[in-house]
Amino acid sequence: MARFLLVRAFGAVGVLLALVTVVFLLQTAVPGDPVRASVGVNASDEVVEAERERLGLDEPLPVQYATYLGQVVRGGFGESLRTGRDVRDDIGAFLPATLELAGFSMLLAVVGGLLIGVLAVVSSRFATPARLLFVGGASVPSFLLALIFIYIFYFKLSWLPLSGRTSVADAPEAPTGLLLLDSLLHARPDVFLDALRHLILPGLALALVPAVAIGRVLRSSLIEVYRSDYIRTLHAKGLPPRSVLFRHALRNALSAPLTMAGLQLGLLLGGVVIVEAIFAWPGIGLYLNQSIAFSDLRAIAGVTLVVGAGYVIVNTLVDLAQAAADPRIRL
Amino acid sequence: MPVRGVVSPGSAGASMNATQRYGARMRGVGVLERVGIVVLLLLLAISLAAPLFVTDPVISVGPAFQPPSLQHLLGTDDVGQDIFARVMYGMRTSWLSAVAVIASAIVVGGLIGLVAGARGGWVDSLLMRLTDTFLALPGPVLAIAVAAALGASLRNTVIGIAVVWWPWYARLVRGEIRSLAARPHVDAARLSGVSRGRLMFRHLLPGAIPPVIVTASLDIQILVLTLAGLSFIGLGAPAPSPELGAMAARGADSLFTSPWIPLAPGCAVFILAVAANLAGDGIRDLFDRG
Repeated sequence: MARFLLVRAFGAVGVLLALVTVVFLLQTAVPGDPVRASVGVNASDEVVEAERERLGLDEPLPVQYATYLGQVVRGGFGESLRTGRDVRDDIGAFLPATLELAGFSMLLAVVGGLLIGVLAVVSSRFATPARLLFVGGASVPSFLLALIFIYIFYFKLSWLPLSGRTSVADAPEAPTGLLLLDSLLHARPDVFLDALRHLILPGLALALVPAVAIGRVLRSSLIEVYRSDYIRTLHAKGLPPRSVLFRHALRNALSAPLTMAGLQLGLLLGGVVIVEAIFAWPGIGLYLNQSIAFSDLRAIAGVTLVVGAGYVIVNTLVDLAQAAADPRIRL
Repeated sequence: MPVRGVVSPGSAGASMNATQRYGARMRGVGVLERVGIVVLLLLLAISLAAPLFVTDPVISVGPAFQPPSLQHLLGTDDVGQDIFARVMYGMRTSWLSAVAVIASAIVVGGLIGLVAGARGGWVDSLLMRLTDTFLALPGPVLAIAVAAALGASLRNTVIGIAVVWWPWYARLVRGEIRSLAARPHVDAARLSGVSRGRLMFRHLLPGAIPPVIVTASLDIQILVLTLAGLSFIGLGAPAPSPELGAMAARGADSLFTSPWIPLAPGCAVFILAVAANLAGDGIRDLFDRG
């Protein structure tokens, strides 16, 4: 186990290093001259050269790379061209909203996926709806789902709010930045409910695709497990189907869906950019969206690094959790 | 996937002629999947032929915000462009871009997989380490970053997605090549003194083609969705070009007054993706059972 842990940790560090390298190369591969663009098209050549020197962009690429690496390791992403603030501070301000949304929809996706997968196997009535869901659910673009939700639940029925995280003016913003948690810490049930109502639509819009993917994988691995001898033995000795499922079959079928959940997190993080834009959710997806419109490369690079690192770390943890739960999983 | 009536592969083939074998294969494909293949082909044909029967997608054809009618099947948008025409053109762009991504991913990934699988040794380790590293990164986010850094255009979006797509094909081709390399016909070819290049392209590569086709057909659905998503956040061709994601994004402002403007292109993406999903399953069944 110790060796497995060490090797996986080293692997994760290698991947993170590759991520920084790709992001660095992206910033150098930009078409045109970003320095001239930032000081203004009419600036004299001397001014451009001076700015280039100030930014260290006149150094050879390996030196620039080393500088950038050092900067990133210390947690600095440079100054945003659009907001004029340090990208790190910007991300820090926007990140909690995204963590709350992504965490909420990942929870919905896992719970929903388990439900769909189990129902598709144990209930014959649910087999056809499940099949339709597997085909249709995986094919809905998240923006279409979001727009339909808004049209029905906000515009037609007025059940749920349209946008933002809360409509309470004095909602607590500290200490975690996660509204659900902060409102509980400040004993504000009104804010908690309001925040939850704001989470539902964007959360569902993000959760459908990963839920379907998880359900699909769980279904096939459950079917596989149900074919094995020990399950037949359990049935034969008269164990009720419910205990066969929950105590024996489900546990052994969970490995593949868990891996799928980790992979789906990457898709979900891509979807965050779209859904946050539609629901005006003040997270790093919205920040990235605005940075793209402004061609703010440092901000784009910063968000990519933070999101990418989060994804790599979560997936490494998933691997470790699986290795801890199942001694057969080794390198 | 549900297990369907399986035609016994291989054994029966010996006593069948080509048409019978083809028929036996087709029976292994479910009804829904067949419908998917037909609908997908139909959509491709219609959208390719779009210029012949719809109006120019970037000119105003009448008043803005008209609801769907016989004259304008899906209504008109905020500047009076015919939405049906734009959706048709948008579908064409959508699947042509998907094919472009798949083609470049197959060329790059296939070549890397082929070299890694055929050479083995440290070349294999190095190339697969690189591939795994890319697979471990969050694809959509990286694609957004690449496309955004290169500047918003359809070509750059295709490049951005292709950058995160090739590793899957590299893994797939490498695995196939490794298992093929252990087969007797490859040993025979090697012993008869075939050059390394001929061995790779003539004796190893053809065996890797069927799984690549299956994966590619399953990928079309994901790519149609990914492209629409990136186009929605402004990574795609600039404004007046008919792109499904961008149309939905711009039309979102009129959701409450003229819902067909954002919903029509969104539904087009959905229909295209469902057809591609079913067709992909069908093609997989066709190859797996054959």
